[in-house]
Amino acid sequence: MTSSTNKGCSLVEWLDARLGLHDALKFAQKKQVPVHKHSVWYYMGGIALMLMAIQVATGVLLMVYYQPGLEAAHSSILRLNSSVDFGWFFRSLHSWGANVLIAVLVFHLFSAYFMKAYRQPREFTWYTGLILMVIALGFGFTGYLLPWDDVSFFATKIGLDIASKMPVLGEFAANLLRGGHNIGQATLSRFFVIHVAVLPILTLGLLGIHLLMVQVHGMSEPAFFKKLDAAKKTYEKFFPNFLLKDVLVWLLALNGLAALVTLCPWGLGPEADPFGAAPVGIKPEWYFLAPFQFLKLVPAQVGPFEGELFGALMMIVICSGMALVPFYDKGDSPEKARIATFYGIVLLLGIIVFTIWGALS
Amino acid sequence: MNYPVWVVPYLGSGWIIGIIAIIHIYLSHFAVGGGAFLAITEGLAYKRKDERIYEYLRSHSRFFMILTSVSGAVTGVAIWWAISLVNPDGTAILIQNFTLAWALEYLFFVAELATIFVYYYSWDRISKEAHLKLAKLYCFMSIMTLVIINGILTFMLTPGEWIHSGYWLHGFLNPTYFPSLIMRLLIMFAIAGMYALVTSSKLQDEELRVMMVKYCAKWLVPVLLIGPFVAWWFIANIPQATMANIFTGIQSSGIGNFSVLARTLYLSFILSGTILLFAYFGPYLNPRGFTFRIAILFLICGLAATGSTEYMRELLRKPYVVYNYVYCNGVLKSKVAELQKDGFFNHGIWAKACAAQTTDDAAKGELMFRYQCMSCHTTDGYRSMKKLLGERDEEAIYGFLSMLKETDPEKNQYLGIMPPVAAQDGELKQLAKYLYTINHSSSAINVGSEKSEPKAAVPVKSNAI
Repeated sequence: MTSSTNKGCSLVEWLDARLGLHDALKFAQKKQVPVHKHSVWYYMGGIALMLMAIQVATGVLLMVYYQPGLEAAHSSILRLNSSVDFGWFFRSLHSWGANVLIAVLVFHLFSAYFMKAYRQPREFTWYTGLILMVIALGFGFTGYLLPWDDVSFFATKIGLDIASKMPVLGEFAANLLRGGHNIGQATLSRFFVIHVAVLPILTLGLLGIHLLMVQVHGMSEPAFFKKLDAAKKTYEKFFPNFLLKDVLVWLLALNGLAALVTLCPWGLGPEADPFGAAPVGIKPEWYFLAPFQFLKLVPAQVGPFEGELFGALMMIVICSGMALVPFYDKGDSPEKARIATFYGIVLLLGIIVFTIWGALS
Repeated sequence: MNYPVWVVPYLGSGWIIGIIAIIHIYLSHFAVGGGAFLAITEGLAYKRKDERIYEYLRSHSRFFMILTSVSGAVTGVAIWWAISLVNPDGTAILIQNFTLAWALEYLFFVAELATIFVYYYSWDRISKEAHLKLAKLYCFMSIMTLVIINGILTFMLTPGEWIHSGYWLHGFLNPTYFPSLIMRLLIMFAIAGMYALVTSSKLQDEELRVMMVKYCAKWLVPVLLIGPFVAWWFIANIPQATMANIFTGIQSSGIGNFSVLARTLYLSFILSGTILLFAYFGPYLNPRGFTFRIAILFLICGLAATGSTEYMRELLRKPYVVYNYVYCNGVLKSKVAELQKDGFFNHGIWAKACAAQTTDDAAKGELMFRYQCMSCHTTDGYRSMKKLLGERDEEAIYGFLSMLKETDPEKNQYLGIMPPVAAQDGELKQLAKYLYTINHSSSAINVGSEKSEPKAAVPVKSNAI
């Protein structure tokens, strides 16, 4: 008993000498998490991180069976779903996980926004978060085409057609992604490479900076909490207290995901037919419904602009507030803070309304 | 076939029982496990002479009494009401075989209710020793209700020797009786612990809260340690055909056929695994941080695990109400050949009377649908015939029904999950005619509507019920 304990101790010491575990533990124990009525939003980042880990693990497993070829893509997924033991499970976990991840990232983004977490000194945390959100949408867009079924084919076609309407680089970017003027083998290969190599590398780097910044600046505190007297502020240790609660929330999120996967396994439509008609009432994934619905409302021609171009420019202008807000609301003016909050509420409500509208229409 | 049919549109009558039963299971399991919790925890308070635990139990027992006695009793009666309406033939078989058992269960239940009322209202009015005895008496009464009802529940899945002997005790002490009894007791202790975690997490005294949270978490240990072995014992005793259904479901999970049972099994495993980890990382490792909100989420997780496991147990029995004896539509397995030869409408008191009221083929087909299919299917809701039939024409539907009529598993692949259609060839055609109208209903058919309603009192309940 004693000798095994000693062995355990010596192993820890050996690792500590090389990895600096003791210092890392001291840092984790020193780190504090504010306790207030909005503390629940602090869990969103952790859930997103866990879901990303699931995406990586399941994505690697899917790559073992997936073949990015026009003749093979759909059949390889079909085989994975029907013949490979629990292949359907890991594919569903990946597909549902992606959707849940994007939903959690939206919560994380807006909760950080309303807690004014973009203010000095957290601008880098904010910008890396914004870019990671865009990358997550990129993962969704590129991954959607890979099974090569009819809905994904036509949804991608419509998406790239809209992208090609963008000024300056639109046509170039769309052609670059398509590998020509039509969606085909080149598109599938490019989307595959972007999905499994380019975006993951970008994510890794940006996520590293994002997490580093969170450690450097600590958890953001909402304005009402900052104003409290020091005696009235309550904190809890990140390690082990917050982390243990974090684990519980991960488990719950995992449960929700497992329920979705087992009760509603992700389906697969018929193989894409580039010469066939688009399925009736085709719609993009839910996270692209808001821009999709917005563009549907814009007339075909607005003044000198083509409707889709005008709509896309409008959306860029509206959303650019998220990027500009750290320069506008620096925490020195209550008036600006109120306007920033108002902008966030309008944007969020707009996204919700247009998403529901798009789903119902 | 001897009683009227209760038509529940969209949801289906089966879900009426399902919803009430799941709520009742939560409450009844809490009642039995909670009885043990009260007795053992009060014993702890008595041994330690800890007034704080007594105080906690006093407030806990109020919540406990209201929830289990009022809601438990209401849902218990509701189950009777629902099963009598949904499956009168099956219910009649159960009552005829287990009259004595059910009478005993009722007596224990009344005694259980009386004891919990006396227990709650006698706090500080009788000695601590006498109060502890009351707790133990309540625990005994509540466990006895389980001891009895468990025999009837397990009989439905594994009637054992009863099939040959017809002797009620053979059916009662059937092959899954003991594994099921132990498993239920373990689950009941766990649920009692999870409910108690909710009340413990609200304690103001931090030292007591930490102690009680850790104590309540220990109530999950038995099910987590012994549960897998008992589950294995249970599975080893269920019918082989049911096991084959599970494996077929596992093999075909990805393409959806026959896989509901397998998927529910996965969910049950995943949720149970989560509870294990949750109990370790939550109340055990971090009792101080185990808040009321987390306790509620934990409880929801536990109830979801129990619900999915119960749902899976119900699915194991399909397509029977009493395995290998009576099908879920109330048709006796031994009568199928006779009904196929003589005709369904020439048997059964109520079905025969209803069929005599109309000459319309489609109306007779609808009657057949109600008696033979509606225990599991609806026209346009749960397991919708509208979706299942799709664009099939009458001939194709008839062909499919002819396959469903077969009693040889080689010729009828649905036999493991659906009863064979117990009807003559002419009746099959009537059923096909009606089923075709579901997706091509220029003329809506409805037994009980003006078109087919006879002048005399119609013994078929209308859709409005």
